[in-house]
Amino acid sequence: MNVKKYFGEDIPRRKFMQMSLKGGVAMAATPSLMMHLLSCKGKEKLGAALNLDPALMNKTIRKAMEKGGEFADVYFENRISRNILMEESKFKSAVFGISQGAGVRVISGDKTGFAYTDEISEEKLLKAAEVASYIAKGSKAIQPIDVKSESRPSFISVQVPLGEVADKKRLDVMQRANQAALDYDPRIKMASISYYDEVRGRTIANSEGLLLSDELPLMFFIVNTLGVGKNTRHMGRERLSKHMGFEMFAKYPPEDVARTCARESIAMLEAEDCPAGKMDIVMQNGWGGVLVHEAVGHPLEADNIAKEVGVFTGKLGQKVASEVFTMVDDGSLKNMRGTIDFDDEGTQMKRNVLIKEGVLQKYMTDILSAKQIDMERTGNGRRESFRYIPIPRMTNTFIEKGKDNPKDILASTKKGIYVQSLSGGSVNPTTGVFNFTCREAYLIENGKKTAPVKGATLIGNCLDIISNVDAVGDDLAFGPGICGKGQAAEVSAGQPTVRIRGINVGGSRARS
Amino acid sequence: MDYKVLAERLVKKCLDKGADAAEVFIQTGRNLSIEVRNGEVETVEEAASHGAGFRVFQNGRLAFSHCNDFSESSLENAVKSAVRFTGNTTPDENNKLPDNKEITEVGPLFDPEINRVSLDRKITMAKEVENAAMRDQRITKSAGAVFSEGEGEIFLANSNGLSKSYKESACTLGVSVVAEKGEQKSSGGEYCSRRFFSDLKAIKEIAGKAAKDAYDMLDSQMVKTQKAAVIFDPDTARSILGGILAAVNGECVLQGASFLAQKMNKKIIADKITIIDDGTIPKGLGTAPFDGEGVPTQKRIIVDKGVLKEFMYNTIVASRAGVKSTGNASRRGFRSLPGIGAHSFYIAAGETPPEEIIKATHNGLLLKGVTGYGINPVNGNFSGGVSGFWIENGKVVFPVKGLTIAGTAEEMLIGIDMLGNDLDLNRSFTAPTIRIKEMQIGGE
Repeated sequence: MNVKKYFGEDIPRRKFMQMSLKGGVAMAATPSLMMHLLSCKGKEKLGAALNLDPALMNKTIRKAMEKGGEFADVYFENRISRNILMEESKFKSAVFGISQGAGVRVISGDKTGFAYTDEISEEKLLKAAEVASYIAKGSKAIQPIDVKSESRPSFISVQVPLGEVADKKRLDVMQRANQAALDYDPRIKMASISYYDEVRGRTIANSEGLLLSDELPLMFFIVNTLGVGKNTRHMGRERLSKHMGFEMFAKYPPEDVARTCARESIAMLEAEDCPAGKMDIVMQNGWGGVLVHEAVGHPLEADNIAKEVGVFTGKLGQKVASEVFTMVDDGSLKNMRGTIDFDDEGTQMKRNVLIKEGVLQKYMTDILSAKQIDMERTGNGRRESFRYIPIPRMTNTFIEKGKDNPKDILASTKKGIYVQSLSGGSVNPTTGVFNFTCREAYLIENGKKTAPVKGATLIGNCLDIISNVDAVGDDLAFGPGICGKGQAAEVSAGQPTVRIRGINVGGSRARS
Repeated sequence: MDYKVLAERLVKKCLDKGADAAEVFIQTGRNLSIEVRNGEVETVEEAASHGAGFRVFQNGRLAFSHCNDFSESSLENAVKSAVRFTGNTTPDENNKLPDNKEITEVGPLFDPEINRVSLDRKITMAKEVENAAMRDQRITKSAGAVFSEGEGEIFLANSNGLSKSYKESACTLGVSVVAEKGEQKSSGGEYCSRRFFSDLKAIKEIAGKAAKDAYDMLDSQMVKTQKAAVIFDPDTARSILGGILAAVNGECVLQGASFLAQKMNKKIIADKITIIDDGTIPKGLGTAPFDGEGVPTQKRIIVDKGVLKEFMYNTIVASRAGVKSTGNASRRGFRSLPGIGAHSFYIAAGETPPEEIIKATHNGLLLKGVTGYGINPVNGNFSGGVSGFWIENGKVVFPVKGLTIAGTAEEMLIGIDMLGNDLDLNRSFTAPTIRIKEMQIGGE
């Protein structure tokens, strides 16, 4: 899900170096902090564990605003992660990471100054604050409000904390998935199982007097299976991810993930050439929601609206989609991958209806863009880590369920493509032009799903497709994903079964 | 801090804590990024940071840890975590570290001048490139201009006695703009990255390309679904090369997950095509004296005049395959285990000027943008969304967008019938203009 087209070309080397350093979910942490994190989820007292003194936060914020500016914040983060890879029935690698750092930001008008430090000490924090303050030079100075700790309700519950799970249990769920995949069919020649978990602790303090802390556990389980047929191969993929404890596997058995993946690998071995040209498509419920995540969600992020370059600029209150189309971003859905207690700027999560029955209701904002376009803070200010500036990002984004029976949607489609799952895609948020690659798709002939077809690309313009949605099922489901926009964010995308009339399909043969 | 000494000392610490072989990878760096929009500074971001990765082995079991706090207790903690984590992996006799102590002489990769240029001058450059790109009246909005720079140093030591380091830098100047006409919107962007400040392209050139990419695509049309010749501009090289690169990854080959797995020494692409991976190009963005685990880099011919000659390996995968590492261990920073990747991966230049290729095309598509995943490295299927220009009778007649192209890698690669002379080795992943005789194009 690469988004920013302007980084889609040759990745500048600096970006490379920056990414490689920044991408580092790296480590720091005294043993006592580690013990605390490992015994997550704690009682929201992380600030105490980090020995973060509110007086130091006030000092940092005051330093950041010394030259001017109307807002400043400091974001502390620590993260413990485990990543184990099983491939070819072997546990190939196990990675343990610990990282800690802080980012300081100053906003002055439309300007942002930002600096970060790996080391959390008064000296380094004040240095970062000074670097960040440069952009505000000469602007009006505001007196920051002293921080005051508050607590918020959590949308993430944990029954089996990750710190209390023996490594052997992690290996066991991987082994079970591997076996289930290989047992599914003799044509499954290899399985790759990736297990990832992390606990991210956050403390956010800002010049509005906010002081918040929490800890977010995250689980990410990915299965890939290689199906080998007579003359072809297909790599299937299935992912499971929640913000929850190890109980995730009791609720969603690893075998199910593996079998779903293996089923796709085998089914697609029979794939035929896909026809090319404009066609009707029916998209099965679930991760297909990534289509609206890309095609509509990114263009509704307010940073491009504030720059007045976004495709939805100036369309608030206007009809932009068909009346059966309602789209929501909701970071407060319990334990989902895109869920977060409050965003990385401390704004409370809530349900945001973006498009209601075809009419554009709101954009997704962070603190800066909310101010720029004079809109509410929607809780979409997110950052990959302390090394990144928060920007407007999605959380759990979906097409709201409709009234149609999914079976009827298919039966009433004479000819077209049935898209069972998508790999991912991208959008140019300025023009609204998007593309997606089908992972598993079938021909629709006389209202029936028939032959599987090779991974075709779907392309179009976001304004066209949301106007061309003419049937929305009642079977809303979600899938987990990683969203990239210069920095990564964990998201869910969802939808019921929907039909879109007339999408351009990149097939390798002419239509019959 | 003497990081070289630190890396060597930490290798010993790994051994002390129970590893029987170990590697320490330390990365330090500094970044600056300036974003400008509508003539005003929008973002200034600056930071220095560092991190270390520990790859340890115990009885053939492999584990890894990483950390960004260099206090003694944290480093020790990371080392212990890595050693403890070997208990989670399967022993493999191929799990070993390189022992080649040499480095490849690649010339300077670090430019001290970048840091000496004043912040104000860098801001001015970003403002100027934006201003120049906005000069054409068809350009209505700026999506922002950027100047960014990075300096980094890598220190690598292992228990086979290797201890190597190098220093590198890069800077980027670029701009992204929007052209509008009525309800139409079209965006264009151009970014120039170089290791040395004085090698950056002229502001006018960067701005001109960004603006042209935007306004050229106004008034685009649709064409009918048909088969026709398809010309890939160098801007779209990644869509072809990405899948090939993934398919020559030695690990994917061993796993049978590559459409090229059975094609060693066989013809896979038109005779005129040679594909090279070169880690030694002077000042190249993909250049380094050694790879991600310390093996000296080389210039290697992957495909020679149409015939597949090499797969790419790091030390562990090479051992499994019974060959030597090709110097292609790649790392995405200190927190990553070495995988397999390219340095500068490109199709060697031909002799035909790109204008001649257009002139020789009766009916076809000149691609300027391709979206999607390109060639699927597992099965070789290709499908993408495309934009560019329609060609009739050897002339560009109108811009097109919203089209698709698809086929199999086999048909596409064998079907290359013209090769341009316009290779730009300042990019690390590139090709000259190439023409494929015929592909399925999806339109109306």
